Amino acid sequence: MSKITLVTKLPGIFLVIGFLSQASLLWYTTAHASEPAQQTEEYCLSCHSNPDLKTTLPSGETLSLYISPEKLKDSVHSPNGIECEACHTNITTYPHPPIEYQTIRDLSRSYYAACQKCHPDNYTKTMDSMHAQAAEAGDLDAPICTDCHGSHYVHPPDQPRTLIPSTCGNCHTKEYSVYQSSVHGNALEQESNPDVPVCTTCHGVHNIQDPTTQQFRVDEPDLCASCHANEEMMSKYGLSAEVYSLYSLSWHGVNVSVYDARWPTVQHNSAVCSDCHGIHDILKPNDPNSSVNPNNLLVTCQKCHPGVGPNWTGAWTGHYEVSLERSPFLYYVEWFYSIFTPMILWICGIYVALQIIRLIVDRARRSLR
Amino acid sequence: MSQQKPTPSSSTNRVKVLRTFPRFNVSQRWEHGILLICIAILLLTGLPQKYSSSTWSQTIISSPERLAFIQLIHHITALVLTALVLYHLAKAGYLLARRKLPGDMLPVLQDIKDAWNMLLYLIYIKKQKPAFGKYNFEQKVTYWFLFFSIGIMVISGYVRWFPEAVTRVLPGGVIPAAIMAHSTEAMATAIFIVIWHFYHVHIERLNLSIFSGWLNEEDMRKYHSLEYDQLVHQPHSSQDSGDLSHEA
Repeated sequence: MSKITLVTKLPGIFLVIGFLSQASLLWYTTAHASEPAQQTEEYCLSCHSNPDLKTTLPSGETLSLYISPEKLKDSVHSPNGIECEACHTNITTYPHPPIEYQTIRDLSRSYYAACQKCHPDNYTKTMDSMHAQAAEAGDLDAPICTDCHGSHYVHPPDQPRTLIPSTCGNCHTKEYSVYQSSVHGNALEQESNPDVPVCTTCHGVHNIQDPTTQQFRVDEPDLCASCHANEEMMSKYGLSAEVYSLYSLSWHGVNVSVYDARWPTVQHNSAVCSDCHGIHDILKPNDPNSSVNPNNLLVTCQKCHPGVGPNWTGAWTGHYEVSLERSPFLYYVEWFYSIFTPMILWICGIYVALQIIRLIVDRARRSLR
Repeated sequence: MSQQKPTPSSSTNRVKVLRTFPRFNVSQRWEHGILLICIAILLLTGLPQKYSSSTWSQTIISSPERLAFIQLIHHITALVLTALVLYHLAKAGYLLARRKLPGDMLPVLQDIKDAWNMLLYLIYIKKQKPAFGKYNFEQKVTYWFLFFSIGIMVISGYVRWFPEAVTRVLPGGVIPAAIMAHSTEAMATAIFIVIWHFYHVHIERLNLSIFSGWLNEEDMRKYHSLEYDQLVHQPHSSQDSGDLSHEA
């Protein structure tokens, strides 16, 4: 009596298939995660937990072979079952095969390729980076994965967030110390501020690009705007979120936006944010050392406009709404034209329209007569 | 509109004498010609820069080199226009010093009355257009609007061309003000020329006197009746008056 056809069964079939496919995913991942109980760690540590274990490489460098079991347990890999042989694929037996690396750097540069196996996306990104270019050009000290992330004791790189600038600062010492004294770096280190940019916010993470190119330069206002045009974030610090939109209307901003949109690789000198505010050394404008402090502003302008007089700074309106107090000339000109141009349009239009009507009516009358 | 109906007394074979009246001298015609070319070039090279984000502008300004070239043309034309303005002012000053500057172009109270009567005529309150002299109020408006407009354009143009030098003397605030005035005044001027001036010289009637230098009798009678009456009733001094004295 009940007609159980294929059509009535269909939803049920879908449900079952759906459930099975979801469940199989679950089964697959758990199985995958539990699989590499490699059991090598304990075995390897039976020798390598000895702090005095070391060897001498052909270069004469002493290579410590000690691994701290406590620190290893604390890393991200070991608790997840990723153990020694995941990276040390060439060592499967004891006694080990002879070491074929000449230097410690040789060894690092060889082993870091293992990261690619599990982190192919980030690994590929680094291939486009400034660092990879330096390595290609022959600089063997150019950073590889392990230089920033560590080798055996890998931790989340941004916990705490202050870790990022200090990691970059291992090599970029000058930039790091300048950054530390900037408004951004200071807020990061003193207040653990979660909003201020760290190195990677502006430079990117794995595919770090050359910041001295024209492309980077014309993109810069958009980069700064990703925070400084954020109303919610800026209001926390009493900053205006209009600086970017007003800059875009200014002489510099209009020029830069044209070049950004159309000729991003063509050399162009219209000022972008960092030309006035500084790069790693950005300070609050009311800081006496700030390049945009009213007392220092003229010198800053003179970087691009050599020899301009003290009145020059008054020409800058790039971060302010037009107002009677701040830009009276502009205010009155804008006010005048807001009335004058429409007035000209309407008067000319109406007068000429009346004349045309009268002309046509007169002609029509004459021809009808 | 300008065709003449033969009067009943005239025979069809009669040789018609076309009387022409001098209106602009050679200098004025050249000034107008150069001004026309200058304004056209300045608008053509200026507008693409003003509207740099629009597609048509990007077709014209296709490369930074093209932009530099367009700016060069704009600057050269601006220099020519400046020379023209200086020539015009110097000539006026010279004529004024020798007490030969004709006052025809100066605005007078009668112009306001004329404009009012014209308005009444246009809205059918008056039956007749007011009678005009050599320059009617429309032509005076054209001259004086462009006089001040070009003044603003030239001054604001040089301010934004040489901002470093200008701020040695003037406060910095004049620079953004000049940038805005230059760009906005250009639009007001373009609107004015296209609507007001083009209507009066092309549509109302095709008036080429600024190129030819003369006006025919009918147009004189119709549009400049006061001047016409004056010239016709004083036949001996008519062709020889005012600034038209050296007209061939």
